[in-house]
Amino acid sequence: MNGSPLGTSVPRKEDRRLVTGRGRFVGDLQLPRMRHVAFVRSPVAHARIVSLDAGPAREAGYRVFTQADLGGIVLRAQSALPSYVETGQPALAEGKVRFAGEPVAAVVAADRYRAEDGAELVDVDYATLPPVTVAWDAGAAAVHDEAPDNVLLERTFDAGDVDGVLAGAHLTVERELVTNRHAGNPMECRAGVALFDPADRRLTFWSGTQVPHLVRNMIAELLGLSEGNVRVVAPDVGGGFGVKAVLYPEDVALCAIALQLPGTPVKWVEDRVEHLAAATHARDHRYLLTAGFAADGTLLALRADVTCNVGAYSVYPWTAGIEPLMAGGLLTGPYKLEHYRATVRGVATNTAPSGPYRGVARPASVFAMETLLDDAAARLGMTGVDIRRRNVIRPEDIPYRMPSRLVDDSGHYDECLTKALDAVGYDELRAEQQRRRGTGESPIGIGFACYNELTGLGRAASAGPRMPFRTGHDACTVRVNPDGRVTVFSGVTSQGQGLETTVAQIVADALGVRYDDVDVRIGDTDASLWGFGAFSSRQAVIGGGAAHRSALAARSKVLRLAAGLLEVDPADLQIEDGVVAVVGSPDTTIGLPEVARVAYLESNRLPDGIEPGLEATEFYDPVRGAFAAGAQVAAVEVDRTTGAVRILRYACVEDAGRAMHPQIVDGQIAGSIAQGIGGALYEHLVYDADGNLSTGTLLDYLMPTSAEIPELTIGHVARPAANPLGVRGVGEGGTLGPNAVLAGAVSDALGVRIDELPLSPSVVWTAARRAAEDAGKTPVEPGGRHSD
Amino acid sequence: MKCAPFEYVRPTSVDEVLAALVAADGEGKILAGGQSLVPVMALRMARPAVIVDINRVEGLAAVERDGDTVHVGALVRHRTLAEQSAHPLLAEAARHIGHAAIRTRGTAGGSIAHADPAAELPVVAVATGATVTAAGARGDRWVAADDLFAGPLMTTLDADEMITGLDVPVPTRWGFAGFARRHGDFALVTVVVAEVRGQVRIAVGGVGAVPLRARAAEAAIGEPVERVAQLVGDELNPTGDLHGSAEFRRGVAVEMARRALASAGI
Repeated sequence: MNGSPLGTSVPRKEDRRLVTGRGRFVGDLQLPRMRHVAFVRSPVAHARIVSLDAGPAREAGYRVFTQADLGGIVLRAQSALPSYVETGQPALAEGKVRFAGEPVAAVVAADRYRAEDGAELVDVDYATLPPVTVAWDAGAAAVHDEAPDNVLLERTFDAGDVDGVLAGAHLTVERELVTNRHAGNPMECRAGVALFDPADRRLTFWSGTQVPHLVRNMIAELLGLSEGNVRVVAPDVGGGFGVKAVLYPEDVALCAIALQLPGTPVKWVEDRVEHLAAATHARDHRYLLTAGFAADGTLLALRADVTCNVGAYSVYPWTAGIEPLMAGGLLTGPYKLEHYRATVRGVATNTAPSGPYRGVARPASVFAMETLLDDAAARLGMTGVDIRRRNVIRPEDIPYRMPSRLVDDSGHYDECLTKALDAVGYDELRAEQQRRRGTGESPIGIGFACYNELTGLGRAASAGPRMPFRTGHDACTVRVNPDGRVTVFSGVTSQGQGLETTVAQIVADALGVRYDDVDVRIGDTDASLWGFGAFSSRQAVIGGGAAHRSALAARSKVLRLAAGLLEVDPADLQIEDGVVAVVGSPDTTIGLPEVARVAYLESNRLPDGIEPGLEATEFYDPVRGAFAAGAQVAAVEVDRTTGAVRILRYACVEDAGRAMHPQIVDGQIAGSIAQGIGGALYEHLVYDADGNLSTGTLLDYLMPTSAEIPELTIGHVARPAANPLGVRGVGEGGTLGPNAVLAGAVSDALGVRIDELPLSPSVVWTAARRAAEDAGKTPVEPGGRHSD
Repeated sequence: MKCAPFEYVRPTSVDEVLAALVAADGEGKILAGGQSLVPVMALRMARPAVIVDINRVEGLAAVERDGDTVHVGALVRHRTLAEQSAHPLLAEAARHIGHAAIRTRGTAGGSIAHADPAAELPVVAVATGATVTAAGARGDRWVAADDLFAGPLMTTLDADEMITGLDVPVPTRWGFAGFARRHGDFALVTVVVAEVRGQVRIAVGGVGAVPLRARAAEAAIGEPVERVAQLVGDELNPTGDLHGSAEFRRGVAVEMARRALASAGI
C-alpha cells in the first residue's frame, strides 16, 4: 500500500479468522483435565436462605462450592460521592438472595450436562420475603439492611433559578415518562476458564471481558494474589455492549474455585437463560419532568426527578451511580440551558443488577428531553425542527458549559439535523403526511433526536461516580521486530469492533510502515502494559492516542538509528512504507529491516549513544473528553388496526471527527441504531409482581432481526476533535436516538402522547384508539398550561 | 440449558415406533424436527425418559393430492409444504412458520402433535376440517382436527399413539392473516378462513387454549365483511399477556378476520 492507511477502509485484520470460522472464543478453549461449572441459582426474588444442603450432590460425586467454601468473598463497589451507600455483593449468595437468578452455589463436573444434573441435587430451602421490583414503589421492603429506603445513591444537579424561571415561563410542560428495561444480549454470552498453577501461584483467567486489566486488578485483590501472577486473557469476544465491562460474582467464583482445584481448568459458559436473568440489565427509569419555554420555543428551565432501578446490587466496580448520574449529567443534551435542577437516584430492587449498557442511560434521557421539546413544539404551533434549531448549542457557543458543568466541544447539531432531514426527504414526507390525512390510509409521522455522545473521557471527566480509579488513560507498546516488521501490544480490547485494524492503521501511519507489516496483540494482560478497555466510547480516542504516541516514539528511535547509520541528521530523514530516506536525496535510503537488525543483532554497528532494541511504550490521556454531535430523523407508518410501526426512512448524521476507518465507523453507527431500534420497539425485560422474570428466553425477550431493521442512511459531519488523531468516539451514539425518534414519529403520526416504552403494538394500538376516541370529543389539554 | 439424561432410540418403522412408545410406558416422546421439543428439553421443562427419533421411518414424507384432499405425511418439512402447489393454503401458512432453519427441520406432524395454539398448522387444520391419522397398538384411527386439540400443548391422543399424517381438504376459497411482533414469530393472532365443500369455516389461533372455530361468524357469512369480522372478535375470550391486553388481542383478531375474509373474497 502506498501512503497512509489511516482514513481508508482497509481489510480488517481480524476478519481472516472471524469470517472463516477460526475465531478463538473462550467457548472454543479446550484444555486437558478441564471441568465444567453450573451455578445453582435462586428461583425466587427475595428470600432468606434457611438451609443449603449440598450433601446429596456431593454423595453423587459432584464438587459443590458455597460462599463459605470460597472464603466469603464480597464485591463492594466504591464511590466517594457523599450520598452513596456502600453495599456488598457476595460471590455466591449467603444468608439471603436478592434477585431471581442470583448464584447460590457452584457445581463442578466433567461436562456441563452433568454439572446441571448435579445442580439439581443441591437442595436450598428459601423463606420468601416481600419482593420489590419497581424502583418508585414506596414503602418497599429493604433489599440491603444498609439502605432501609433502598436508595443507594442520590444527587441533585442544580444550576440557576429553576423555580423562579418556571413560574414566569410562557409555557410549562409536565410529563411523566417510563422507559423499558434492556438486556445487553451479545451474541456470545459471558464465558470464562480459570486455571491455577500452584507451583508458582499463577492464575490464568480466560474471560470474554471488555476490561482485562481491570479484571486482573480486581481478581488479584479479591483473591489475595500477586497482581503480576494473575493473567487475564480476553481472546475473541463476541460482542459486549458494556455488559462485559462488569466483574461478576460468577467470574470471581470461577477463579476462587480454580484456586481450590489447582491444575484443573474450570470452565463456565453462560447460557441465554442465565444471561437474561443474571447479567446486568439497564434503562429501567422514570422521569418526572417540568420544563418552561418562552413563546418562541426557547427552553428556559428544566426540573427533573429521575429514578433508576439499579437492581439488587451496586454493580462492580461501576456502582449504582452509573445510570442515574449519566441521566442527570446528560439530560439536557445538546440544548442550551441555564436553569436546571435534576435530582437523580439509584434505587435497589429485587431484580438483576443494572450496569453499563451501550449508551448508558442516554437512550432513556434523550427520549425524555426530546419528548419535552416535541410536546412544547406542538403547544406552541412550532415544528419539531424549529424548536430544536431554536435551542441547540451552536459552533459559536463552543466550548459550551452545560448546566451539569460538562463542557461540550462539538456544536454541529444543526448541521447534523439539516443533513439528516435532507437524507429522509423531509419536505416530501410532510407533503405525504398531509395527503394521507382524511384518507383511510395509515398515517405517517416524523420523529427527531439530537444528542451529544460524550466520548474518550480523560482524567478530568472520567467515567464513573468518583470511584477509586480514573479511567482516562491507556498504554501501548510498539515493537519493531528484528526482521523490521512491527508488533503492537495495545491495551485496547475488541468485542468485534475491529480494534486490531484501527490500531494497526494508526501505527502504520505514525511509524511510516505498511499496514500489512503491522500485527496487533490485544486482550492479554501479560502482553500489554495497561488499558482500561472498552466502554464509554473511549478506545479510538484514548487507546488510539496511545498507539499514535508510541508509534511516534518508536519512529523517533528508528530515525536516530538510521541517521547514525547513514551519517546524516535525523531531521533530514523521512520514513514511508518502511523505507527511511533522506529528504531531497531519494537514493540514500535504508530499509527498516536493516535498521532493526542492527538494533537487535549487530550491536557492533550501533551508533554512539543508542541502546539496542527498537520499541517504545507510551501512555495517553486526553484529560478532557470529546463530544460527538449527532442527529437522527425517521419516518414511520402506523397501522391503527394492529399498532404495528413500520419504519419508512431512517437517517443518522454524526460528527465522528476524523474517521480512521470509514466502514468501521459506519458499522458502529448502524449496529448501534439497530440496537436502539430493538430497544425502542421490541426489547423489554418484564418482572411479575413476585419478582420472576417473565421474559426469561428469547421467545419473549424480542431482539430485532435483520428483517426488522430498515435501510439506514448514515451521514457525517467530520469536525476533527482536539486530540492527536482528531477522532471522536462512535461506539454508542447511534443507540441514543431511536427511542426518541420512533416515539416522536408515532406521536406525530397519531397525534398522541407516548409516555412509555417500548412502542409495542399493544401500546401503539391503545394510543391510536385513544386518539380516535379523543377525536370525537373536545380536544383535551393534557398536562401543560398556557400562562397567557 | 442442557437437557436431563434420556434414552434414545431410532426405529425405522411405524410398528417399531409404537413398540418403543409402549415400552416407554408413558415416558416416551417422539422426536421429528425437534424445533419445539429440543428447546423445552434444554430448559428441562420437558424431561422425557425415552426419545423416539422417527426421522428414519420411511413413507411419512410425502405430499399427495387425492381428489379435493391433500395428504401430508407426518415427516413433511415445513419447507416442503411452503414450496408445494397442491394445497396453496398450506403453502401460505407454512411460509409464516418461523425462520428458514426452522422450516427446514420442523415437520407437519410435529407441529400438529405439539398443539401450540399459536402455531400456524393447527389453525389451518381446524379451519379446513382436516383429519389426522393416528397409529396405535390397536391400529389406525382418524381424528377430526376439531376433536384433536385438548388444550395448550395437549391433544386427545394417547401417549403410545403417533401421528402418521393428515388429510387436509383443499378449500375452494381461502384467506390467511396473521399478526406477529417480528418476522418469524408465533403470531399473536392468526385467522384462517376456508371454504370447504361449500361451507365457510373460520378458525382463530393465538387467543385461546386451542385453535377456535368462530361459529357465530361462520353463521353470518354473507353479511358485510366488517360485521362478520366483528362477530369473530365478539366470540373470543382472550386474556392479556406480555404482548398486550385482552382488548388489544380482540381488536387485532377482528382486523385479521377482516383481512382473511377479504383475501378469501368472502
